[in-house]
Amino acid sequence: MKSWRVVLAFLLILIFSGSVLLSGCSSKTKQESTQPQQTTQEAKNKNFKVGLVTDVGGINDHSFNQMAYEGLQRAAKELGVTVNVIQSKKMEDYVPNLTNLAQQGYDLVIAVGFMMHDATEEVSQKFPNTKFMIIDSEITDKPNVASAMFKTEQCGYLVGAMAGLVEKEKVGKVKGTNTIGVVGGMQIPPVDSFIAGYQQGAKAVNPGIKIIVNYTNSFTDPAAGKQMALTEISQGAEIIFQVAGGTGDGVIRAAQEKNVYAIGVDADQSYLAPDHVLTSAVKRVDVATFDIIKDTLEGKFKSGIVYFDLKNNGVGIGKVNKDVPKSIIDKVNQLAQDIINGKIQVSDKISK
Amino acid sequence: MKEIFLNPQLWAATLAMATPLALPALGGTFSERSGVVNIAMEGIMLIAAFFAVVFAHMTGSAWIGLSGAMIVGLIVALVFAWAAVSLTANQIILGMAINIFASGITAYLLNAMYGFTGTPVDTPMLPTVAIPGIKSIPFLGQILSGHSVIVYLMIIILFAADYFLFHTNLGLRLRSVGENPEAAETAGINVIKLRYLGVALSGILSAMGGAYLSIGALNSFNPDMTSGRGYIALAAMIFGKWTPFGSFGAALLFGFATALSMQLQNTAFSKNIIMMLPYILTILALVGVGGKSVPPAADGVPYTPKK
Repeated sequence: MKSWRVVLAFLLILIFSGSVLLSGCSSKTKQESTQPQQTTQEAKNKNFKVGLVTDVGGINDHSFNQMAYEGLQRAAKELGVTVNVIQSKKMEDYVPNLTNLAQQGYDLVIAVGFMMHDATEEVSQKFPNTKFMIIDSEITDKPNVASAMFKTEQCGYLVGAMAGLVEKEKVGKVKGTNTIGVVGGMQIPPVDSFIAGYQQGAKAVNPGIKIIVNYTNSFTDPAAGKQMALTEISQGAEIIFQVAGGTGDGVIRAAQEKNVYAIGVDADQSYLAPDHVLTSAVKRVDVATFDIIKDTLEGKFKSGIVYFDLKNNGVGIGKVNKDVPKSIIDKVNQLAQDIINGKIQVSDKISK
Repeated sequence: MKEIFLNPQLWAATLAMATPLALPALGGTFSERSGVVNIAMEGIMLIAAFFAVVFAHMTGSAWIGLSGAMIVGLIVALVFAWAAVSLTANQIILGMAINIFASGITAYLLNAMYGFTGTPVDTPMLPTVAIPGIKSIPFLGQILSGHSVIVYLMIIILFAADYFLFHTNLGLRLRSVGENPEAAETAGINVIKLRYLGVALSGILSAMGGAYLSIGALNSFNPDMTSGRGYIALAAMIFGKWTPFGSFGAALLFGFATALSMQLQNTAFSKNIIMMLPYILTILALVGVGGKSVPPAADGVPYTPKK
């Protein structure tokens, strides 16, 4: 029996190391074959190593992790920098994953998401010579950390206004309950800023509108997202804005089944259900990731907060459903102009 | 308050949220009644959820997706049984290893096979069933009709499980192996074989629960989409005193707590307190509010045949 135990121990070690390795290297970018006559600039860029650590959503979240990854891929392609991705499986992985990249001498380490705030503060302190970038969270007191912040209340405002107008004019699948909903992932600032804008935008064009706001408390539970959306639909909601990462896939599914509209978030999610996605509140995490990689490569790294908003194309709206008439789209575009000009101020604080 | 309970969606959501708990809870009942604690159900659900999408998309048939997922679940369960039963390994450590492995391998395969845009949007879903007669009854029809076919399969399995465990010879033998394997062996029962059977059934049923999440409720796979349901199913099984109907009842209760928390969020209660409901219930279940639960006497204890 003893020999069996040894076999089993080896098996377990294999499984453990296998899964760690797999999740570690899952998306290591393949390097193109080295060209013989490299200019020094190319060689320099190639030696510039950028590591990205996703939060628990992983890069298939159809959402901000995915977009950060796209920005990273674009940097690898257009700038020729060396890139690597580590996907975090649980919150306890954040510190080891960030440390891992910093220790390996990465020039820029990107932490994707608000939930990595504490981990980034801790690790950036230990590696003062490594540059860090965090998305969605404000770290201002570290000379080696840049924070990319998105004025998502602005794109939230635009999709809210569109939803308000669609309800008011009873467009397409809308029957006129004058009720819209939101399914949020967690009650945290980067989620609530979208919702705050949505509320203000909808109320601005349709003061009598009712807005149901719920949270699923998870970004990775589409089954719960679906039931939450069905619950809101049963309470009269005809357009549901999902701000819930992977959980939001269930919201879009519910909208398809009940023939109402969903609004996508972060990425342009129209492709998930072209007939039932009204539009998407797009947060260009890819643009932010690419821009900061480029700046750092060119020696223009700036610590502190870098804002991305409508003006610099850091946020915006995605593909609009074919049911929406041009008059509504024009109005929404006008509102976008007003926000850019400062005529409309959008708050990121949610109202009860 | 009244309109919340009169909203059929509350009860429909209860059933929908109970199903992915009830299936692994029924599976766990078989496994633990035979004397094996299978906490790998969480991982088996996750792997099955993934392969359900893979097979469904590859063949264009959600039914093949479901069958494929059940076969994959069976294979993982057999690996678990081999190590836990034949090699008498620690069942808890082994289960955790499989759960961690499942989380890693599914995330890896998802990227390797489908890239970062996720599983294909044209993945077929299992059909929903409109029950003739019942579907036109107001209120009741909206609650009981129109669910995924897995919900109704689960009800059939529930009755079959109870019949098998408590009304057949094989069921009696399975239970005896979990209570007193020495005595069972003396009576000429093959302890190892029956424990394999218990674990295999738990693997198949957990896999159905996983497939329900990916191709029953939706048509996509997301990393870690099981969200700990395999563990909550274990709590439901304990709350249900290791019986099929008890496990189902407990799963319904957890489903109800989740559905209620969804309905109550927009009322005057604090959202954060409301969202704790299902978890508070889990803790209450585990500290034994539903009366004393006595596990099978040899539950979790590996057995080495005497001859």
